[in-house]
Amino acid sequence: MTGVIEAESVTKRYGEVLGLNGFTATFAPGITGLVGPNGAGKSTLFRLLVGQLRADAGSLTVLGHPAWGPGEYRRRIGYCPEQNPLYEWMTGEEFVTILLRVDGLPKADARRQAARAVETVGLTEARHRRLATYSKGMRQRLKLAQSIAHDPELILLDEPLNGVDPVGRAAVTSLLRELQASGRHVVLSSHVLYEVERLTDQIVMIANGRAIAQGDLHRIRDLIDAHPHVIDLEGPDPRALARALGSMDHVVSIEFPGPGRLRLRTRRPDDFYRSLPRIVVEERQEVRSVQSSDDNLDAVFRYLSEGGR
Amino acid sequence: MSISAPRYVVPPTPRTGRASRLLAIADREFFRHAEWGTLLAVGFAYTATVLATVTTVLFASLAGSVALDAFATVFASPLWPFLILIVTTAAGAGCLAEDVGNGSFTLYRARPVHLVDYLAAKTVACGSWLVIASVGPGLVAVAVTAALGYAEAGLALHAAAAFVATGLLAAVFFTGLALALSSLTDRALYAGVAIFGLVLSLYIGGALVAGLTGNPYVPYGSPIEDLHRVAIGAFQVSGTSGTSPAASAGVLAGAGIALWAFAGWRLTRLEVIAE
Repeated sequence: MTGVIEAESVTKRYGEVLGLNGFTATFAPGITGLVGPNGAGKSTLFRLLVGQLRADAGSLTVLGHPAWGPGEYRRRIGYCPEQNPLYEWMTGEEFVTILLRVDGLPKADARRQAARAVETVGLTEARHRRLATYSKGMRQRLKLAQSIAHDPELILLDEPLNGVDPVGRAAVTSLLRELQASGRHVVLSSHVLYEVERLTDQIVMIANGRAIAQGDLHRIRDLIDAHPHVIDLEGPDPRALARALGSMDHVVSIEFPGPGRLRLRTRRPDDFYRSLPRIVVEERQEVRSVQSSDDNLDAVFRYLSEGGR
Repeated sequence: MSISAPRYVVPPTPRTGRASRLLAIADREFFRHAEWGTLLAVGFAYTATVLATVTTVLFASLAGSVALDAFATVFASPLWPFLILIVTTAAGAGCLAEDVGNGSFTLYRARPVHLVDYLAAKTVACGSWLVIASVGPGLVAVAVTAALGYAEAGLALHAAAAFVATGLLAAVFFTGLALALSSLTDRALYAGVAIFGLVLSLYIGGALVAGLTGNPYVPYGSPIEDLHRVAIGAFQVSGTSGTSPAASAGVLAGAGIALWAFAGWRLTRLEVIAE
């Protein structure tokens, strides 16, 4: 086994709608970000991984086991779904305890481990409160607690930071790093790309049910070198600036999105940034701001999902 | 020669078996329904059954002879099936629908739990409430009449067996019905309305069709009528006509098992949740 999760041409249909469309990817050990917009197929993939859905075609293995069907290996997996599957009448600790008992832990051990997991996510004070009184962020943290309480080897987190406040976000991020450091594998999905970028540079990008790119962030950055890189500039005379910058052979298009603004696309952003100061000085142009929307993973995703590879 | 430091390893916690995991789901589900609606219906079932039975047996005793049919008074009124229907709705309507609706089903499926264990756990939880409501009151009534000396031991045992047989058949059928209808929706309310609506419409519709056509097989289609006939047979009530008690028992048991199997089939299909 080379990957923690291996998907080969996995297809899942919901009637006429394709949830996954020939999804092929290998998830390496450590933290992997599954990045894609809403409806891309992230939750479908997670449900296939935990055996709730059955793939219509292709093969999907988790920790070396086929994902569909019952299996004791499932206790080596922790799953935090995107939705809030909570029993409102239970207390936080009861909720985690019940799920640990379903995992096969004796009652006393389940209680002890539940208390520890609830403490890990910072809900100790609220552990005896009914779930109906929990905020969205607290529910999110409790879901995380149940996913790690049985000490799983692989943790699948579907949008784990969604709805969590900044303090909680930092705590969750730090917890995920600790889990990684202790040898756990984490797959987390998000449509907020900078969250993933801060946690790992190992990502799988998904759009329309297909993996459109995978590998480390730098490799994906290399992939987009073939795609025009967007740069926005502001200055008092954008047309004169356009004439000066348009002489560079790697600039493929120039637009004027608004007064005093210039947007250009270049195939060699590094060359552009290197040449810009010289051109501005030589041509006596004034540039008030330079912004690239391609500085983060968001841009990478946009390129790959819109343009394809 | 080499010396290496000993390694101390914390042994993993031994895991419990399937039965224990099943019970973890079952007892959560059972106690979750220990709420006022269920408790009120169960309380009514006990009060009505014990009062009606003890009073009838007392009068029969005063008249000089107590027969088995004196214990069947409660089945003569529509109150008993109505109370069982309320317990079915309160304890069973949400047993699968709630898990699907709030997504807990996803968490169960993510764990090493077989679908059949999950269904068995739900059956145990819902069935326990129905057994408590349908078997328990009769047994308490028999115990009270025996304790008060209104019925001799042999007759009391016979009556207890009749209550157990009738009550268990009711529990089998209504548990299957609750699971089947609960598996069709993600809202307990819809399942509850369906349970009530289906049983009452079969009762009223069956009576109308049977009256209009005179077809002797139509009453088999009504669970309430079937339960009534089973009670008549079990308590050896004389002077009545209608469907065969044995056939009605067969219909109830068969339908209950078929509905349970249907719920299981539905669970295997329950994979699509909108993203």
